[in-house]
Amino acid sequence: MRLAIFGEVLANLFRKPVTLKYPVAREVRVAPGFRGKHYADLMKCIGCSLCAVDCPANAIAMDKLPQPLKHNQRGIFPVVDYGKCVYCYQCVFVCPVKAYIVTEVFEMADYTTGTSRDLSLSTVKGGGSV
Amino acid sequence: MVVVEIPIGPQHPALHEPIMLKVRAEGEEVVEVSVNTGYNHRGVEKLLEKNSWVRGMYIADRVCGICNAVHMQTYVQGVEKLMDIEPPPRANYIRTLVMELERIHSHMLVVAVMAEVIGFDTLFMMIMRDRERVMYLKELVTGNRVHADIHMLGGVKRDIDEAKRDKILKELGVIEERIKHYKKVFETDYTIVKRLSEAGIIKRSEALRLSIVGPTLRASGIKSDVRSDDPYAAYPEVPFNVISRDEGDSWARMMVRLEEALESVNMVRYIVEKIPQGPAIPKAIPRAAKPGEVISRVEAPRGELLYHIISIGGANPYRVKIRTPSFLNILNTEKVYIGHRLADVPVIFVSYDPCISCTERVVVIDEKNGKKTYMSMRDLAKVRVE
Repeated sequence: MRLAIFGEVLANLFRKPVTLKYPVAREVRVAPGFRGKHYADLMKCIGCSLCAVDCPANAIAMDKLPQPLKHNQRGIFPVVDYGKCVYCYQCVFVCPVKAYIVTEVFEMADYTTGTSRDLSLSTVKGGGSV
Repeated sequence: MVVVEIPIGPQHPALHEPIMLKVRAEGEEVVEVSVNTGYNHRGVEKLLEKNSWVRGMYIADRVCGICNAVHMQTYVQGVEKLMDIEPPPRANYIRTLVMELERIHSHMLVVAVMAEVIGFDTLFMMIMRDRERVMYLKELVTGNRVHADIHMLGGVKRDIDEAKRDKILKELGVIEERIKHYKKVFETDYTIVKRLSEAGIIKRSEALRLSIVGPTLRASGIKSDVRSDDPYAAYPEVPFNVISRDEGDSWARMMVRLEEALESVNMVRYIVEKIPQGPAIPKAIPRAAKPGEVISRVEAPRGELLYHIISIGGANPYRVKIRTPSFLNILNTEKVYIGHRLADVPVIFVSYDPCISCTERVVVIDEKNGKKTYMSMRDLAKVRVE
């Protein structure tokens, strides 16, 4: 066969297009366990700062808690800057109390969403304890 | 006849990498080529000195986008040697699995790029479509389709389960069938064979003299592969053949890659079926290494990758020297282009599977005089900030 490619071209004439019509149709498949947007659960976080120390992109800054939490004696929590984050998940791995909530969200092009601050603060239940 | 100098790159439709080939041609015939680098230097080696051992893993991983897991493996196995840690067998198998998936998609990529360079855009699209299946498997195992980030000092960060295993085995069947098909296309297609064969022949003796590595060396008839010569990770236990061909031309390099990809499919199948039980994820992360130096080498998809890591104790490495395969394959082969047609230059260049982001070294340019100096290791040591 001199032109092996021809059979392939003919077979593809009757196939559905492979190209996805993103973002008109949101049909992008992401494998389970995809490393997406992540934020700290403040009901678990103890403010140890290990994630900020290990972050290779310096994307995590420790910020003051707006209200005191009993289990977080240091009164600080990690804020992930999604613009800097390289999604290596070292923070998720190193966390001694498994405080990070991981999601498969990858659509983060936005004018407003910059950090994980609001998401983390929304995890505080019952207004915290003094 | 007048000799014309033609710059190919650093931005050129036929070259996908930021490198410049200064081609001097007499009519259509190439008489001289000089490779010009320095467009993509990022100071990775310095960054590694400035960061801790753990952060360094992720910096090493980002040296190259295509072959990131092998960079991480080379760094991690070197640091593990300095720290006296032995990763558990299951972790070694998972590392090998990710590296072999990477080899499959890297080889498919260069074969696709070659198809594009010779004007076969349809074939390029089709190979890239099928490559996406491998990327999906990598995403399934590691959590990201490009950057694996699965290594950890003393193990891996993620384990694989039965569901993932079944999915991998199912997809591998399709991938194997497709690679076999592309191999047949490259073997039998009249245009491809005509275009690639006898372009850029490197003879056996010449390949040794020029220190060529990887599939480029194996296409010149030398069976040299770090995976079998100096086995690491799970390679001592995983059976595989070292592929080599005697032709030494661009076509042979492509065929070696396609056959290696098929070999890697079998290796991945073996790994997921025979993976030993036991722990894979380390409980604690080691932080300090004892003083010493280590040379760690790994067979990257492009050839032998080497890290020289020096530790003086403490939390950071003192020096990390990276020698990547493209550094040898691109810079040492300037003479190979001579005598070929101008149109063959991109074909020969792509057949080395160039990867410039990992090849860049320090170059100092004096803007006033337009002078360019390359800095040696000794000069760099002098300006090192303590």
